[in-house]
Amino acid sequence: MLQPRLLAPLRALERAFSPSLRSAQNAYQPQSLILRSLSASLSVPKTTPIFRTLLPLSQVRFASHASQGTANRHSRDPAGKRLGAKRSNGEYVVPGCIIFRQRGSKWFPGDNCAMGRDHTIYATQAGYVRYYLDPERHPERRYIGVVFEKEERLPQPRNAPTRRRLNMVTIPRAEPVAYQSDIVATINENGTQVASAEAVNAGSGPQLRPGYMYREANWVIGRAAEKAGITAKSYDRNNRWLAWRKREARAERAAQMKSLKGKKKAPRKAK
Amino acid sequence: MAHCERASKPLLQCIRKTYARSLPSVQARGFQSSAAVAEAQAEQSQPFHKNPDPSLVTSPRLERQLMRQGTNPIGSRRRRAALQGSANIPFEQLPYQCFQEARKVLLEDRTEKLKEIESMRQKIAKVEAQPVEEAGGEQAQKSRVRAMQLHLERLKIHADINDPLVKRKFEDGLGDMSKPIYRYLADRKWREYRRKILVQRITQMNVVPDVLPHCDPIVDTKLYFNKRQVQPGDFVDAKVSSEAPKLDIQLFERGEKLVTIAVVDPDVPNVEADSFDFRMHYLAVNVPISAINTKVDLSQLAADSQVVLPWLPPVAQKGSPYHRLSVFIMEQKDSQPLDFAAVKAKETDRDNTLLRTLQARYHLKAIGAHLFRSQWDDTTLEVMNQIGYSGADVELRRKKVDPLPYKRRNPSTFR
Repeated sequence: MLQPRLLAPLRALERAFSPSLRSAQNAYQPQSLILRSLSASLSVPKTTPIFRTLLPLSQVRFASHASQGTANRHSRDPAGKRLGAKRSNGEYVVPGCIIFRQRGSKWFPGDNCAMGRDHTIYATQAGYVRYYLDPERHPERRYIGVVFEKEERLPQPRNAPTRRRLNMVTIPRAEPVAYQSDIVATINENGTQVASAEAVNAGSGPQLRPGYMYREANWVIGRAAEKAGITAKSYDRNNRWLAWRKREARAERAAQMKSLKGKKKAPRKAK
Repeated sequence: MAHCERASKPLLQCIRKTYARSLPSVQARGFQSSAAVAEAQAEQSQPFHKNPDPSLVTSPRLERQLMRQGTNPIGSRRRRAALQGSANIPFEQLPYQCFQEARKVLLEDRTEKLKEIESMRQKIAKVEAQPVEEAGGEQAQKSRVRAMQLHLERLKIHADINDPLVKRKFEDGLGDMSKPIYRYLADRKWREYRRKILVQRITQMNVVPDVLPHCDPIVDTKLYFNKRQVQPGDFVDAKVSSEAPKLDIQLFERGEKLVTIAVVDPDVPNVEADSFDFRMHYLAVNVPISAINTKVDLSQLAADSQVVLPWLPPVAQKGSPYHRLSVFIMEQKDSQPLDFAAVKAKETDRDNTLLRTLQARYHLKAIGAHLFRSQWDDTTLEVMNQIGYSGADVELRRKKVDPLPYKRRNPSTFR
């Protein structure tokens, strides 16, 4: 919808030129395009010929109709990624604690901090978070650091020794243990003989096996039932009573499993 | 190369036979001393493979043989192969017109520079002889003389820098470091690559703010353990570093300097204080170095006048972070010797002597640095037992970190 912007000053102009036309001009209301153009065409040319020439020069849109395209804008906005500071200045952090999530390196890791795969800044030492600038190191970068003492400030002077913590404890030194494999190979003139580990060692208890496990050799585990005196009944083909019982038990178990499956699914559907 | 040598052997023998004969005797006398000629004749009597010439040898086997004897072959193998078949005309007399014309221009320039040097020397003498009032004060006179001397040094370098023979000699490693031009070339070469590496290593590994506040290396330092060179920052086995290293300290300035050599480990773990301590592994004072006298064997220095703290083999406890063993070459003030007895009496504690303190106490200035690292390895335990190290039976483990308590933040917004 177009409206002549110069209307107000021109109205004053008209008032000055032709007070006789005031009554006609009073009827003018910005109702519709046709009405207004009619009124303009009716009233103006008689009084001021300049008016018509100025009219198309400046047009203004008012928001009487919602402009197209912006109505559903927000539906296309992605969800927020929860970026930003997770720990503020002076907060206590432990190693691995995430201090700042960001896209790109808006902040850089300073003292006792490191940058993760997605530019996340996290602490490598326990201490208090500091957000700071270090113009000697880089004139424009912003850094996040961690200090050990609550009152310490960053950046440190360039020539001061770095403050470090050991973060270690002493324990008695463990001798590295030699592996004992399950299989022992001996090579002689008869060829390669592969045998299991010696029974003497195996009897002495569990030993360090590949995979850092203290356990018996596989063949010892395999003979556990034998050692305990457990014997299994030998299979009799003609014992149909036992066969029927086994089959029934299997069917029952299958049905049970099926019902469990159904139960699990049901609440999901209800949702 | 062996193949081509075998193939061209008869030809080479033929050339070598004609070589001495075809060379005009006048030229030979002009550029070689009579002794050298006699030596060449002696060589002729022996077969080449018995007595290989380092400037002509091309087969890898003979090169190895020479190197084992202690003489390195000169230049590239390609050049040596080319020289084998050449007429061995002295460089200045190569029969190329353009070359000779260019040489004339260079020679002219050199004579000009030599004249300038002479006049500059006279000027300096004149200014120095002037009474102080006439020169406009002592300070002005001193600064003027200093500027003129700098200009003189520059002229000396400019006189020789375009000489192809100088360039060749330097590249062959035959440069005489007592001459300013070779010192200048060596310095330039060092600064192009090796110094950059060194500075990067000592700054990235934080040796410079940790051990000393500042270090601007001006001497080229090489470190050898058992004749093997160690690059700055290399890990060295405990067994290898149980003997004191050898240093090659190349000074690029004229004159002799007295230096203090210190080896400091800033990474000694201190479990009680939960921090790191320093340990002085070696300290020697009044070590003379110059552009020619570069070799310093830390184990061979005089115990009664130089070594304050003898070499302590570096060992790293199992599990501890790596130890940075930093070697610092510190210039003594005005190259004046320190009072050895006083230093020896004062600096007895290896553990509580900081290099910063020493620097302030004896007015030292770091002019060179080097760095190697040590960590726990298979040979460490042996070395620990050898030196009677007290912490050999323990290892270091990371302290367990308690996680922060879970804190639910402002739960009303989550509903």
